[in-house]
Amino acid sequence: MPKCIKSEGQAIDYVYKLLPPAEEEPFEEHLKNCPDCTEAVQSFDTVLQLTDKAQAEVTVPELALQDIEMNVYKRLAATHKQTLFSRVRAYFANFGSVFRWQKTAAASTAVLALITIAILMSNPFQPEPRLQLTEAQSAYARIEQYRQQDIQRNLEEALITHHLRNDAWETESRLHRMKEQAHGTTWTKVADDHLQNLQSGTLNRTQQNSKSRN
Amino acid sequence: MDKLIDDEMLVAQFQSGRQNAFDELMKRYKSKIFSYLLRSVRNYEDAEDITIEVFFKAYRALENWQPKAKFSTWLYKIASNLAIDYHRTKARHPVYALEDTEIPEANLVASDLYSDPEKQLEEQERGRIIREAVDQLSPKQKAVFMLSRYEGLQLKEVAETLDMAEGTVKIHLHRAVKRLQTLLRPLWENNEI
Repeated sequence: MPKCIKSEGQAIDYVYKLLPPAEEEPFEEHLKNCPDCTEAVQSFDTVLQLTDKAQAEVTVPELALQDIEMNVYKRLAATHKQTLFSRVRAYFANFGSVFRWQKTAAASTAVLALITIAILMSNPFQPEPRLQLTEAQSAYARIEQYRQQDIQRNLEEALITHHLRNDAWETESRLHRMKEQAHGTTWTKVADDHLQNLQSGTLNRTQQNSKSRN
Repeated sequence: MDKLIDDEMLVAQFQSGRQNAFDELMKRYKSKIFSYLLRSVRNYEDAEDITIEVFFKAYRALENWQPKAKFSTWLYKIASNLAIDYHRTKARHPVYALEDTEIPEANLVASDLYSDPEKQLEEQERGRIIREAVDQLSPKQKAVFMLSRYEGLQLKEVAETLDMAEGTVKIHLHRAVKRLQTLLRPLWENNEI
């Protein structure tokens, strides 16, 4: 700890390059004759060097970043669904608390509730804000777009695995993954054809190229 | 998309209905936000979840966003708030797990097979001790230290990000560095580094 009149804060600011230019040179002059402050500066500098090195070792794997966009849109789409569902659920909860001991009234309110749900879903009095509709539509469109990209990526990776590494197990596993992703689209047929060709040993480059163009 | 288009212009495009602009913003910042959160929470899964939450919140708030500060500052603000919430929740409900099991794995993959394995282990151990020392800072000290040191934010931007006065940011920063000095001093005094 510096015992001189200069504060430790100044030593930290100096190491952190936060000292105003007007104070920097006088502080450097001071350092030449003050072992306390010199020790403090060296010590803080070591701290920063150590932490910089330790944090630089933290790397972000490319794989972890791959699905961020799609998951953001999935989250947006899920929230939109939830909003409508929670609105209906909240509506029922209120009804239950008022009429729970009156069977006759409950039956009639059930009918009323059905009508009200229909009203809530069409929402004639307060139309859905434009943003929410755009948001949901956009989210679904983006999910589909990213799904298509994923399907194509898996197909490309399957073919690369087959040709460069000749790894049948990995190729098959990627094709199955692609098929799962492609559920409900014409890409499942492409995956099936490739799987069939892989099993019969006729998966060749010409076929793959023509299929991937599809 | 043209990389020269600045963030604020992309936001304006998004606000006028061009949805692709948000994709470009995510592409620009997902790695930065992820690595900031990874350093803060030190767990890949949690960092990924919070990154998704950051962009989710940003998407929903972007319609009414006014460019009072830089877009990146605003994004870091969302990330910092979520990271601080995460640390508070974790402090209230501690989970006893093996420490630092996630981060060094990335380093192991990148390690040079021909280098000295003993030295590698020492390096990893030292890295673990240092990262744990950073974890011992208070959430605000940690946020100030991380944003200023690793994300390259100016003190003014850190202040905007964390909703603090610039002077308060400096106080947190001083405390953080002094605390780290106290925690790490044994490492160099005992020649452990």
